[in-house]
Amino acid sequence: MKHTRHAQRMAATIVIALLAATPAFAADQSVALVLGVKGSPFYQALACGAKAKARELGLQLTISAPDQFAADSQIPVVNAVAATRPAVAAVVPTDTQALIEPLRQLHQRGTRVITVDQTINDTSFVATRIQTDNEAGGRLAADAMNTLLGGKGTVLTITQPPGSAAQDAREAGFRAELKRFPGIVYLGPQYQSDDPQKAAEIVTSTLSAHPDLAGIFATNDQGAIGTVTGLRQAGAIGRVKVVAYDAATAEVNALKNGSIQTLIAQTPKEEGEAAMQAAATVMQGKPVDKVILTHIVTIKAGDTATADRYEYRGNCP
Amino acid sequence: MNWIKSAAVREHCAAPDACPTDPAPTLYERLHHFAGGGWILILLLVLVAGFWIARPAQFGSTYNLTMLAVNAAILLVLSVGQTYVIVSAGIDLSLGAVLVFSSVASAQTMLWLSGEPAGTFGTTSGGWGVVAAGLAVAVASGAAWGALNGALVAIVRIPALIVTLGSLGMAVGLAQVLTGGVDVRAVPDLLVTQIGNGTLFGIPMLVVIAALIAIVAAVALHMTRFGLQVFAVGSNAEAARRSGIRLRRRIVSVYVLSGMLAGLAAMMSIARFSTTTINGHAMDNLSTISAVVLGGTSLFGGVGTMMGTVIGVFIPIVLLNGFVILGIPPFWQTVAMGAVLILAVWIDQIKRRTRQG
Repeated sequence: MKHTRHAQRMAATIVIALLAATPAFAADQSVALVLGVKGSPFYQALACGAKAKARELGLQLTISAPDQFAADSQIPVVNAVAATRPAVAAVVPTDTQALIEPLRQLHQRGTRVITVDQTINDTSFVATRIQTDNEAGGRLAADAMNTLLGGKGTVLTITQPPGSAAQDAREAGFRAELKRFPGIVYLGPQYQSDDPQKAAEIVTSTLSAHPDLAGIFATNDQGAIGTVTGLRQAGAIGRVKVVAYDAATAEVNALKNGSIQTLIAQTPKEEGEAAMQAAATVMQGKPVDKVILTHIVTIKAGDTATADRYEYRGNCP
Repeated sequence: MNWIKSAAVREHCAAPDACPTDPAPTLYERLHHFAGGGWILILLLVLVAGFWIARPAQFGSTYNLTMLAVNAAILLVLSVGQTYVIVSAGIDLSLGAVLVFSSVASAQTMLWLSGEPAGTFGTTSGGWGVVAAGLAVAVASGAAWGALNGALVAIVRIPALIVTLGSLGMAVGLAQVLTGGVDVRAVPDLLVTQIGNGTLFGIPMLVVIAALIAIVAAVALHMTRFGLQVFAVGSNAEAARRSGIRLRRRIVSVYVLSGMLAGLAAMMSIARFSTTTINGHAMDNLSTISAVVLGGTSLFGGVGTMMGTVIGVFIPIVLLNGFVILGIPPFWQTVAMGAVLILAVWIDQIKRRTRQG
C-alpha cells in the first residue's frame, strides 16, 4: 500500500505542478453561445441562426448547452466558458437571479456579456439583451382567440407552473387582453411541466367539467402537443379552438391538419442572428442598443407558407 | 491512509470486538487496492492531464480550477451522505428533493426573520443570527425527511428505492406548496457574500465547508465504531444483527445523516445561487449515485471508501468542464460522459475479478 500511496502522491504533485496557472489569452474574434438546454428545437434553431451569421461575419463561434433548463445545471457550463475567455459570450440565462454572479464573473474576466431569449435581474454589466415581448405575444394570442370564437365562449390556458418569467408573461398578456372581450369567459390557467401527458389529462377533465369549452391557449409546444392529444381523445378537435405559442414541427403539423387554429411563433433563428450581429458590433467597440427585440409572428390556419418559414428547425449544416 | 482498508478484511470484522488486531495487508490485497481505489484516481489524473495539455492556459488557469472545486462542493456534500446510505446497502433518491425542500423552508424562515415581503428580489439585511436560524431550519428539515425515509425503510420495511422515490415527490411537491411554485428570491446578503462568494485564505468558502465535511465523514466512516457498523449492516444485515448491532437504529441514523447533509447542501445552494432553485437539482440523486459508484462503492453495500466518492464527484465535473473548454459539441458530451461511467464500472468489475482471483 505504501508504494501505491507514494505513486499517487507523486502523480498528484506532478499534476499540481502542471496545473500551475499559465497566462490566459483572449482570441479576438471568439464568441461563446450558451443555450438554455440541449436538444430543444427552439434552441437548436437559435443555434442555427447564430452559426450562419457567425460564418458570415467571420466570428469563431463555440456552442455549449446544459442537460437541463436549470441554473444548477447551467452554471458549470458558464464557468467553463469563462475559463476560455472568449471576447463575447451570448448566454440564455436559465434563472433571473442565480445566473447574475456567474455572468458577472464572466464580465470581470474581460468577456462582454449578451443575454439572449431570457435575461437576468441585474443587467448593469450586460452589453445588450436580445429578447421577445412575451406579454405582447400573449395579447396577440387573445386577439386570435377572440377572432376564432367570434367574441363568445369559455377559454382555458395551459401553461407552466409559475416561476418561468416568459410563460408567466404570456399568460398575463393573454389574461389582460381578454378583459377587452366581455363575451369571453376565462377559466384561468392550469399547469403542466413540459409534460404532454399531463396537458392531455387537463384537457379531457376540463371538458368533463365544462362541456361548453370553446378555446384553449397553450403557452408552449409541449402544452400544445398534449392539448391536441387530449382533444383527439375526447373527439373535440375543431370544436375546441386552439391557439398555441411556438412553432415546433409537431405544432406546425397540427396547424396543417386543422387540430391547431393559430400559432404565435417566436423567431429563434432571428434571435441567434441578432446575438451574433450584436457580438460583432460590441467587438468593434461600437455602441449597441441595451435591448434588441425580435419579432413575434401570428400564423393562421391555411397559411402554410408562413408556417414553413417560421417552423423551428434545428438541422442546419 | 491506513483506514482505507480492503473490504475483504472488513467483512470479517463486522462486530467491533471480533478482530482486535488487523492482519498486515498481503501483497495480494495491495495489488487489489491498487487496481481498485487507485484506478479511478488514475482516470481522474489522466483526464486532468489530458485537458491541461490540450488547453493549458484555459483549463489550467487558477480561475478554472477554483470553479471546478466550487462546482463540486454541493454535489460532494450530497454524495457523502449517499456514500453512507449505499455502504449500508440502501439508496437515497430523495437527496435533491430534500435539498429543494430544505432550501425553501430555510429561505422562507430567513425572509420572515428579516421582515421583508415575500417575492422581493435581491438580498436582505439579515445578520448572522438570521443565517444561523436558517441553517438550523435547513438541517432540521433535512433530518426530518431522513428520519421519515429511515423509519419507512428500517421499521415499516418498504424497499428504500420506493420510499425515497416517494419522499422525492413529497418533498418537491411540498416545496411547491410552500412557495406557490415561485422561488424565494431574497436571501441575507451576508450569506451570499461571505459564504456563497466568500473565501478563506483564498479558498472559496463553499469548498472549505465541503472539504471539512468530507474529511469528518471519512474519519467517521473508516475509523469509528459507527462507521464499522454501517459497513457491517451493508455487508450482511443478519450477521450484523446477530453480532449485537441495533440494526434499525443504524439504518435510521444513516438516512438521518444523509438528510442532514442535504439540509446543509441546501444552505450552500442558497448561498451560491442567492435564490432557491425549485426547478433545479432534479438529477442530483443520479449524479450522487454515479459519483459513489465511480468511487468504487458497491451498490450492494458493505464495500466503499469516502476517498473514492470524492474522486467520483470530480470526474463528471472535470469532464463537462474540459469538454466545454475544448468546444466538443454538446450532444457528444452526453455520449462521452455516459461512456466514461460504463468504463469506470468495467474497471470496477476487473477489480472484483482480481479479488476473487
